[in-house]
Amino acid sequence: MEQTCLKQVTLIINKPKKTSMRKLVSILFVLLVSGFTLMAQSKKVTGKVTDENGTPIANASVLVKGTSIGTTTNAEGMFELNAPASSRTLVISSLNFTAKEVNIGSGSVTVALTSAVNELTEVVVSVPYGTVKKSTFTGSAGTINSATIQKQQVTSVTRVLEGLVPGLATTNGGGTPGGGTDIRIRGFGSINASASPLIVLNGIPYDGSISAIASDEIETVDVLKDAAASNLYGSRAANGVIMITTKKGKKGPAQIQASIRHGISTRGIPEYDRVGAKEYYELFWESYRNSYVFGSGQSYAAAGTSASNVLTSSSGLVYNAYNVPGNQLVDATTGKLNPNAKLLWNESWADALFQNATRTNVNVNVSGANDKTNYLVSGGYLNEKGIAKFSGYNRYNFRADVNTEANNWLKVGLTVDGATDKREGLFAGGTATSNPFYYSRQMGPIYPVYQYNATGSPVLGADGKPALDWGVPAQMGARPYAANSNLIGSLALDRREQKRLNANINTYAEIRFLNDFTFKTTLGMNYFQVDGLTYQNSEFGDASNVKGRSTVSAQKNVSLTGNQVLSWNKKLFDRHNVRALVGHENYQFRTSFLSATKTGFSYPGQTALNNAAVVEAPPSSSEDLHRIESYFGSINYDFDGKYLLSGSLRTDGSSRFAPDVRWGNFYSVGIGWRIKQENFMKDVDWLNDLKLKASYGESGNDNIGLYYQYINYYYADGFGNFSPITRPANPDLKWEGNKTLNYGVDFSMFKRRLQGTVEYFDRRSDDLLFLTPTEPSFLFPNVWQNIGESKNYGIEIQLAYNIIQKKDFDWKIDFNATHFKNKLTKIPPKQKELGGIVTGNKKYNEGRSIYDFWLREFAGVDPATGLSLYYRDILGANGKPTGERILTSDITRADFYYVGASSIPKIYGGVTNSLRYKDFQLSILTTYSYGGHFYDGNYQSIMHSGAAGTAWHTDIQKRWQKPGDVTNVPRLQNAGGQDGASSRFLFDASYINIKNVSFSYNLSSGLARNLRLKDAQFFVSIDNAYIFTAKSGGDPQQSFDGNVGAGYPPYRTITFGTTIKL
Amino acid sequence: MKQIRLFSFLLLTAASLLVVSCKKSYLDTKPSDAITIDQAYASIAAVNSAAASNYLQTFAFGGGNGQTGHDNYGQKAIDLANDLMGNDMVVHTQGYGWFNADYNYTGWTLPNGTNTRSDQVWSFYYNAILKGAILLLDNTANQTATAELETLRGEAYGLRAWAYFNLINNFQQTYKGNESNKGVPLRLTVSAESIGRGTVQEVYTQIVADLVKAESLLTGKARASKERIDVTVVRGFRARVALAMEDWTTAATYAKNARQGYTLMSNAVYTSRSGFSSINNTEWMWGAFIPADKATIFASFFSHIDATQFGYAQLGGQKKITKDLYDKIPATDIRKSVFRTPGTGTSILPDYTQTKFSVPVVGSWAADYLYMRASEMYLIEAEALAKQGKDAESRVVLEAMVGLRNPGYSAASFSGAALVSEILLQRRIELWGEGFSLFDIKRTGAGLNRPTGAGNHGAPNFNPVVYQLAPGAAGFLMRIPTRELDNNSKMTPADQNP
Repeated sequence: MEQTCLKQVTLIINKPKKTSMRKLVSILFVLLVSGFTLMAQSKKVTGKVTDENGTPIANASVLVKGTSIGTTTNAEGMFELNAPASSRTLVISSLNFTAKEVNIGSGSVTVALTSAVNELTEVVVSVPYGTVKKSTFTGSAGTINSATIQKQQVTSVTRVLEGLVPGLATTNGGGTPGGGTDIRIRGFGSINASASPLIVLNGIPYDGSISAIASDEIETVDVLKDAAASNLYGSRAANGVIMITTKKGKKGPAQIQASIRHGISTRGIPEYDRVGAKEYYELFWESYRNSYVFGSGQSYAAAGTSASNVLTSSSGLVYNAYNVPGNQLVDATTGKLNPNAKLLWNESWADALFQNATRTNVNVNVSGANDKTNYLVSGGYLNEKGIAKFSGYNRYNFRADVNTEANNWLKVGLTVDGATDKREGLFAGGTATSNPFYYSRQMGPIYPVYQYNATGSPVLGADGKPALDWGVPAQMGARPYAANSNLIGSLALDRREQKRLNANINTYAEIRFLNDFTFKTTLGMNYFQVDGLTYQNSEFGDASNVKGRSTVSAQKNVSLTGNQVLSWNKKLFDRHNVRALVGHENYQFRTSFLSATKTGFSYPGQTALNNAAVVEAPPSSSEDLHRIESYFGSINYDFDGKYLLSGSLRTDGSSRFAPDVRWGNFYSVGIGWRIKQENFMKDVDWLNDLKLKASYGESGNDNIGLYYQYINYYYADGFGNFSPITRPANPDLKWEGNKTLNYGVDFSMFKRRLQGTVEYFDRRSDDLLFLTPTEPSFLFPNVWQNIGESKNYGIEIQLAYNIIQKKDFDWKIDFNATHFKNKLTKIPPKQKELGGIVTGNKKYNEGRSIYDFWLREFAGVDPATGLSLYYRDILGANGKPTGERILTSDITRADFYYVGASSIPKIYGGVTNSLRYKDFQLSILTTYSYGGHFYDGNYQSIMHSGAAGTAWHTDIQKRWQKPGDVTNVPRLQNAGGQDGASSRFLFDASYINIKNVSFSYNLSSGLARNLRLKDAQFFVSIDNAYIFTAKSGGDPQQSFDGNVGAGYPPYRTITFGTTIKL
Repeated sequence: MKQIRLFSFLLLTAASLLVVSCKKSYLDTKPSDAITIDQAYASIAAVNSAAASNYLQTFAFGGGNGQTGHDNYGQKAIDLANDLMGNDMVVHTQGYGWFNADYNYTGWTLPNGTNTRSDQVWSFYYNAILKGAILLLDNTANQTATAELETLRGEAYGLRAWAYFNLINNFQQTYKGNESNKGVPLRLTVSAESIGRGTVQEVYTQIVADLVKAESLLTGKARASKERIDVTVVRGFRARVALAMEDWTTAATYAKNARQGYTLMSNAVYTSRSGFSSINNTEWMWGAFIPADKATIFASFFSHIDATQFGYAQLGGQKKITKDLYDKIPATDIRKSVFRTPGTGTSILPDYTQTKFSVPVVGSWAADYLYMRASEMYLIEAEALAKQGKDAESRVVLEAMVGLRNPGYSAASFSGAALVSEILLQRRIELWGEGFSLFDIKRTGAGLNRPTGAGNHGAPNFNPVVYQLAPGAAGFLMRIPTRELDNNSKMTPADQNP
């Protein structure tokens, strides 16, 4: 056992230089205690703190006992301390480790350190209204700590979670500056109500922007997955809970930490391959020719001539990018480009609209604590540009956190944080012309950014610079795609932005009394304000005819949460541990909105409404309230840390439901058995820990977005009139329920080199808040009902294996995988009889998942005609399908089917490789997903059969051209409509993403010391280093339901940074 | 001792917090911008407010099914689609693509998804029927019948008839000869029960019954503005319906009665920018008043039809009259001047581009929508008289209207079938762009016969794909939205139109 020494704290005591007069030392000691940190003639103590596996423990506190003199360890676990010569003992502590006292004796002292993390005694999990020890925890939770979070350069912490916690699924969130991701925990519970987990920040349900919380300020993120873990938030825990805990000051002298990061972002997923100018003209010629042949019945010869004539005419592509006359551009017989034709311009809209984006992030914090008080003050600045020009995000954030034990029975604390951010370039999504991603993708390759004359010379504007081409008749013609627009011109003058203010104030007072009781009252407030501005400029584009248009809006959300919790913590008869609590909570969310639009700006660039003459949309304002009141209690009991039992009960009333039905009761029970603690397991050496656990409980969901669905309201229409309700009230509407069963085993073996958790979950949602569709000939398109049941069940595996543990070299692999199935088990009876509920390209039906695609089934291309083929039902005498199908080339007659694909993957998860060689560390996080499908509408939009002006994917080269051709791409035909939605555009959504590579170097302690630093780290990291997808160009991870839009692709960001501690 | 004091203090604090929050009303929150259904029907003023809002839905962007495509702005969007499916309106180029699917009969037949014309039309009228009419009728059933309430109920019956008439004509062939064919679900009360298609006859019977009620309730009642329907508009509806039912006597009588009190607009007004965009026009019987703050900008009728204003029409989607019809308008007829004279076209206003429908002031979207005007009543009356063999009377009516536009016009040479043809030609000229083309070719059995060649349909204009449809062709039928079939337990896939 040569490595034994590594499992201990090694202290190297530097003897003080020439012990001088005791008196002087005493004076210095006093000075030090008073807070002076002067270098003095004291003894220098250096050492290293590691865990049992020899892995260094960073940020461990090293304190001279009885003083406030101390330090923290650096990333290698090293520390150095000037201790008073008289000092005898060091107290070494770290989160998740048992504190140890070590004598500073003469010579080296070796003390065996028991690492708490490996004994699973002190690891805590943040749960509602407190924390619990992981060892006696019967629920299911995943914890991500600050070290992991900081490897990834993210603005919203939601982006960190993918691949780290089994059971948690995220979208990639695209690359919108400052944007986050969507999260689902353990499948898809709610269908029409929000299926997102509840976010809790420092114990208070959070309604603000997650991007406003700097990831540098986060200590841990706990993902609570089952009822036992989350149930005390019963009312809103149906879809899991994410607990975000920010950093606190740690015991020891003041520590100043600064980090600076700078990065460059580029597209993480490449653009689709599209055809160039030559092919574009040739293909369009074919598309027109076919339209004359098949649409107008002309002969091929006549149609070829017609096509050559129309090609660059005003009803064709309009623009002629070559130097030969338009009707001679493509040969009327061969369909080939005139060999004499020379290209006059070749410009890329993508080059013009996109950029390599920079990202700069600076954070500074000062923290510390003594026995009674801890504090942390931090501030940061982030500036993240978008890869689309004119877009970006910047944020200033501040935080102050103070907790103090005012006396022996009272503890109070205050956290104040605020962030003000600005989001620029909030471009319209989808097919809007002002969406640069859609625009640059759809724009045919022959349309230039700048104007050219007939000979191909740039046209200069009044300022002598090349003039932009707006695609209007007065310039080069009415561009068939997106006439009268030039995004480089208009985005530069337009503004689409939000300025947001997000502030939180959390206070609490905790009173201990009668030895075992604690009463804690907490009051939290979140203030979230969004000032929106959408300004379309007065000079060019959509609003030029009305001299500019500006919409100014202000949204304010204020939420208040107050709770009072009485808890009792007692060890009875030596081996019975009981922690019980009862409490009450009030929650109020107030949202208000104000908006107005004016046009007629007399001076360009002035966006305030005062500068405008004409009211376009009437000003509007509204205010809504959501309230919840709750009573709850819970008990955690363990017998000798061996047999575990927990239970909770909660009742919530929600203002979203009618008085008779607004109260919902939720509960949970959990049991656990720590087998390894049994006597009969004592001798099983290879096994270090084994715990079986099970939990069951019910939680709820009231989040239907609307506030007053139980009363029939007529809403004001903005003109003083009241519009009939859009949906009938349902006074019986009540809480959606979610019952989760969890079985799990936690284990640790082979001297703790292999640790893991395997869990099985079965999550059943009932009384689903369901938007039941009705036929549109009825009064309303849909009705909210508590109808429907679904279940999500599956297995989660998480393993950590220390492959190599040497003095200078470690290698650890963390692996997790999730497999689950989603099934609807009950839908409304009428819809069941009708065969399901069609919603977009999905159909809900019993026995099906909510994300089973329901589409026309593409049956290939008819080799004789080149037309797309689909299936159609044969109807029986009763008017219903007989089950037999026939082929049809008429898409309007094609029927819809389950096409055997779902957007839900069969398995997904992540793998982290962590390597350390001496002071160098490398970590690689790879996420993966296998077996899902996605519908690529972006690809569909560039596989049209001849929409003038619109670009084509290179796959169009595989089109049908003549009878006998066997292909999957139908014939081209202007206005031929061969590109309708069908299973043709479904693709495998499997991917492997090297999500983060982080390489860092810790300055050796000696060097750091010489630089008067406690610690310094330099790193380079790459986020989304490479994404392997089944289909090039498509972004399979954009949404849970497998539909993709034309938005930001994910970024690849390369970041260089440093963190120093003073 | 200290601990006990503290404990008591805590209990008191906790108790007081509970008491404060336990107030029963704590969870009873209310919206700031809504009234309850009871409030909405509590007073005449409130009912009127609900009804007024409903009229706004006739031109609301995204009305009906909530689909916010820029081609979904209520009645005028459906009118434009109607004309684009006829013989006389040509689309210049692809432009931004809106309405092109109507022009080439593809959006019409795609019943899947809320962005299809068939879903839009279906939802728009059922929305009007249910939210505009039935809710009001149901909720005021037990109220004392004051004059104001009678007016409101009369309007509701009138609108319901108008909506069913439009529905049945989109989703079925014309009335005559198809009486026993499948109709549209006839929903007359608020009930979640599914309703099957029934027959065409049942739908028309209900339409007539509603119009009779509406006329009786609205007779003698004044209206606040031409945004609301009154007895003249209801009579206009009755004339339209009777024309479709080939009930010539009723059609003639009602058309004549309906136009009483309206004066045909002058030629100066006809050719002015506001001739077809101002509700103040003396011959407008019903329309929507749309000031700048209610305008729906690009998602509006004028965006798609007025190429002089910067909108979709100017960006390649110019709407043009066929050379065929243009050539049939005599040079002396001022109606020829609302189309760009061949040879004078520009890139923005190519030859044959319409200027009939223009925003009053370029740069402002304040432009009213026309739903019914007196000239249509002259045409209905003339046609109905001619069909009854009352040629002389018919010619007088026709000349009264056409003669104003084309001084010296005489119908003297026309009689019998030729007179009817002449009236139908005048109808195509006079009502060009007002949303009658499709219903007329279905009603008259003319079929789709789109003239081709220079100035007509097809290259170099935008390709309409479909050039001909035989009278009564299945292609004229809008398909029932799939979501209706998917959710209506009284319909099977066999209830889909062929």
